[in-house]
Amino acid sequence: MSAVLAPARPRVAAPPRPRRLAVRTAQLVTGAVVLAALWHVHLDWTGLRELPGDVVHYLRLMFAHPDWSKLPYALQQTWVSVQMAWLGALLGVVVSTVLGIPAAQGVGPLWLRLPLRAVFAVIRAVPEVIIAIVILTVTGLTPFTGALALAIGGIGTHAKWTYETIEAVPGGTAEAVRAAGGTLLETARWGLWPEAAPELLSLALYRFELNVRTSAILGLIGVGGVGDLLTGYTQYRQWDAVGVLIVVVVVVTMAIDAVSGALRRRITKGARARVVDGTE
Amino acid sequence: MAATTITEPIVQVTGLRRVYGSGDAAVRALDGVSFEVSPGELVAVVGRSGSGKTTLLNLVGGLDALQEGTITVAGRDVGGLDEAGLDALRRDVVGFVFQSFGLVPTLSASENVGIPLRLRGVPVEEREERVALLLELVGLSGHAAQRPGEMSGGQQQRVAIARALASSPRLLIADEPTGQLDSETGLAVMALLRGIVEAEGMTILVATHDPTLVALADRVLHLQDGQLTQHVAS
Ligand SMILES: Nc1ncnc2c1ncn2[C@@H]1O[C@H](COP(=O)(O)OP(=O)(O)OP(=O)(O)O)[C@@H](O)[C@H]1O
Ligand SMILES: [Mg+2]
Repeated sequence: MSAVLAPARPRVAAPPRPRRLAVRTAQLVTGAVVLAALWHVHLDWTGLRELPGDVVHYLRLMFAHPDWSKLPYALQQTWVSVQMAWLGALLGVVVSTVLGIPAAQGVGPLWLRLPLRAVFAVIRAVPEVIIAIVILTVTGLTPFTGALALAIGGIGTHAKWTYETIEAVPGGTAEAVRAAGGTLLETARWGLWPEAAPELLSLALYRFELNVRTSAILGLIGVGGVGDLLTGYTQYRQWDAVGVLIVVVVVVTMAIDAVSGALRRRITKGARARVVDGTE
Repeated sequence: MAATTITEPIVQVTGLRRVYGSGDAAVRALDGVSFEVSPGELVAVVGRSGSGKTTLLNLVGGLDALQEGTITVAGRDVGGLDEAGLDALRRDVVGFVFQSFGLVPTLSASENVGIPLRLRGVPVEEREERVALLLELVGLSGHAAQRPGEMSGGQQQRVAIARALASSPRLLIADEPTGQLDSETGLAVMALLRGIVEAEGMTILVATHDPTLVALADRVLHLQDGQLTQHVAS
């Protein structure tokens, strides 16, 4: 059968197994390189011995007497981070969807797919922090810079998820819509979108979850939010305030993960596997 | 829904060839196939797996590009149609039923049946009326709101048949419509197709493995390695 949006792959034989000798050689070479590297960096193992003691010392500084008067400010800055994450997810997902759909096999032509995928791959290779540092020369140190960096940085992985999701939709529905006389666009609308949409929506929420975490890291370069605060208090060694911040970040992140995770389960399960007897 | 003149065949196929791949890897899926189907006939296409049944049906229905030979469906020269012409053929003349149903899992039975009518821009009230009629025809009036995941295989295939009939096609093409069903359910689906031929004067071209289904056909085309071996009247 020839589905328009997911053409049948020609049947090909499985590729030959890698030769055992080649695998062994690669393992030996890798091992040798690791050993040589260890030899050269002259690790100071004495620091490692004192590590447990240090960890206990700093944990006590942070959490023995947390400075709860900083809580409102910490919450406010966390809210800034969440907004940064949200805006970044929204922008990133919209652009990723627009660029990711034509990058799917069976949707866009090869001359369009390849360059798009190359762009995504390049973006994936660059961490958000680097992207933020580059664009803050234009936009300055504001939360919006963080949101933009999250949006751009997210495109690399998110567009990839988008076209992979679309490629994974079974071809039967699309072919049936085409057989009913649907044009290419109508086939995408009725045969592809209903099946891909729940998954794409779930991925968008997941992107938001990831951004919440990344936004804390972006704060380290000063674009605002809770990460910014964390850097500040750490530099001034206000460990009692750092303790409060860490509690807030952990609690908020876990809460968002829990809510978003529950939503995602509802979206994907609810659309597909509503069973006959109603026991979900 | 009614066929035009009885004498004029609705499907005419001559010298049909379809080759997949090229060089050493070339597969002759169809190798010189000619036949005709008259309006109101239920014709079964049988043959082993890989004999070219799907290839033949897809070509007749305009789902695959014609390489060699001629196909005429309801007076239209399929080989001479451009993409828009093929869209129109599939939308207005031919209805398709697949082995794997091909229903949209997130839409209800009635919404699935309504898809071809949406594609043709049929107004809402008219659409709902026709969908209700079609679901009644396939015996699923009580299941209009259910989604494919909430229905049995036989029910899903009946929804797919109702969808294929929605645009009042002159020709219904079914590619192993009972392939995923147990023999009893398969027989019920085949009996439904037989009933549609009797009641609506529909023409049906159906590929099948199942010998019990062949008994319900007016005529059987035997495919073997891309060639028709014999025409058996029953
Ligand atoms: N897209 C394709 N690319 C390459 N070869 C194909 C393709 N589709 C079909 N073929 C080959 O053409 C031949 C006929 O296939 P076809 O699907 O028409 O058989 P079939 O009779 O429908 O089989 P089944 O009963 O298993 O559905 C087979 O040898 C098959 O391998
Ligand atoms: Mg087949």
